[in-house]
Amino acid sequence: MSEGNNNAGYKIRQTLLAVQTIQNRIQELGQQITQDYAGQELVLVGVLKGSLYFMADLSRAIDQPLMLDFMTIGTIPNTTNQTGIVRITKDLDVDITGKHVLLIEDIIRTGLTTAYLVQNLKARQAASVKVCSLLVNPDQQLINVPIAYSGFEITQTWLVGYGMDIGEKGRNLPYIAEIDRNGRT
Amino acid sequence: MPILTISRQMGSLGDEIAHEMARRLGWDLLDHTQLTSRFFAEGITERERHSLSESARFFLNVAPDGQTYIDHLERGLNQLAEEKSLILLGFGSQVIFADHDEAVHVRITAPADIRLERVKKQFNATDENASQMLDQADRRHRRFVATLFGVDSADESLYHLVLNTGFLSVTEAAETLTALLNIRKIRQEQPEQSKKPVQAANGKIHFKNKSEAEFARILDMHQIEWKYEPRTFPVEWDAEGNVTLAFSPDFYLVQFDTYLELTTMNQRYVTEKNKKLRRVRELYPGTHIKIVYKRDFQTLIERFSHIGTAGQP
Repeated sequence: MSEGNNNAGYKIRQTLLAVQTIQNRIQELGQQITQDYAGQELVLVGVLKGSLYFMADLSRAIDQPLMLDFMTIGTIPNTTNQTGIVRITKDLDVDITGKHVLLIEDIIRTGLTTAYLVQNLKARQAASVKVCSLLVNPDQQLINVPIAYSGFEITQTWLVGYGMDIGEKGRNLPYIAEIDRNGRT
Repeated sequence: MPILTISRQMGSLGDEIAHEMARRLGWDLLDHTQLTSRFFAEGITERERHSLSESARFFLNVAPDGQTYIDHLERGLNQLAEEKSLILLGFGSQVIFADHDEAVHVRITAPADIRLERVKKQFNATDENASQMLDQADRRHRRFVATLFGVDSADESLYHLVLNTGFLSVTEAAETLTALLNIRKIRQEQPEQSKKPVQAANGKIHFKNKSEAEFARILDMHQIEWKYEPRTFPVEWDAEGNVTLAFSPDFYLVQFDTYLELTTMNQRYVTEKNKKLRRVRELYPGTHIKIVYKRDFQTLIERFSHIGTAGQP
């Protein structure tokens, strides 16, 4: 896999989490989730696009029947403010009423988006809503969203790979790398 | 020159009355902090200055000029009192000027339950926290005056007048003091037009800067319930138990029981905020409080100003 070629728009500084490291941790998480949700109706809800690969690998590491669905959050511009308006641009297709929902995130930074989604899902009368994130950055976390399952704690800010992008590129790297911010193109 | 000394309990409205009297009389108002900074402006280290604000006993040490800190301060204060009319708040000044011909000494008190309610409201504190703050302040007040002057500041025989703001408003207390000063022909009241107008609050939130307003919008669009500066955490007290440093975080996130302080300022201010934040965590265990640094704030703004997927703020 090319590490930041001319078209990538970023330059990799170092590999943070190797392929096998990620996969080993996902197996552990999968076993734990299998135990915790034994006999319960489980729906994994992935937040697109970042959770794509994590969702795919984690769901296959969980040894029990489950449903998969995805949500996408988007920002639409607002002419009167610097910031836009957050909207769910792709909503769930399955009915989660009475079911146990596990929200799958690639990374939790401030926790704002996760908090928004958790509130939104809880309002739909799910039996429970918990969060599973591959990466958590406690230094950046502003909101104490309870995270039931987390893969790795990180401190680095600029990351790419395994679903995370820089300008929509780099998601398909099988590992997670720290990029050189100055090397962004 | 005339002197009005005011000894007060925390939550008794003593500070408010002192300021009201300063406004009416046009006299200089000096409290513990101003006294120490005025009379120890030079020649002492930061550590010594800190000790002067924290410890009564430290005033009994010998200062660089060969006399004790308290002697140095008393001498300077007596000299100042010859030149200016003064309102002295706390510091045992009722003892220093006990025999002064033109001094009036007043003590401001209030019933315990009323003081508790005032402190709860002022600092948005719980019953338990407010009660602890009052106990601590009372102990420190009494210990300070007892250590330096060997008297009990609660002893009513030290005062011309003891005013109970459980029954009296700030205005009534100020009127009473003004009347006493007039009877003793100590002063003439300032003309009415010199009084500053009282500005009424209109209930609207006025953010201190655009960043705060923008951050509030980001919280709104995530449907996160917030309150603006709902609570003040006292973090430092002087030796008399008066609050000398407090921290009012910008936002409180109700569902997440988390306080956030936004900073988009220079590093030296950030350092000061970090210090306050550490003190809040030490003094109020279990309080969730975080600083949103300039870099993080800009990242948030950048992410939410893009069209398309919001990414992961």
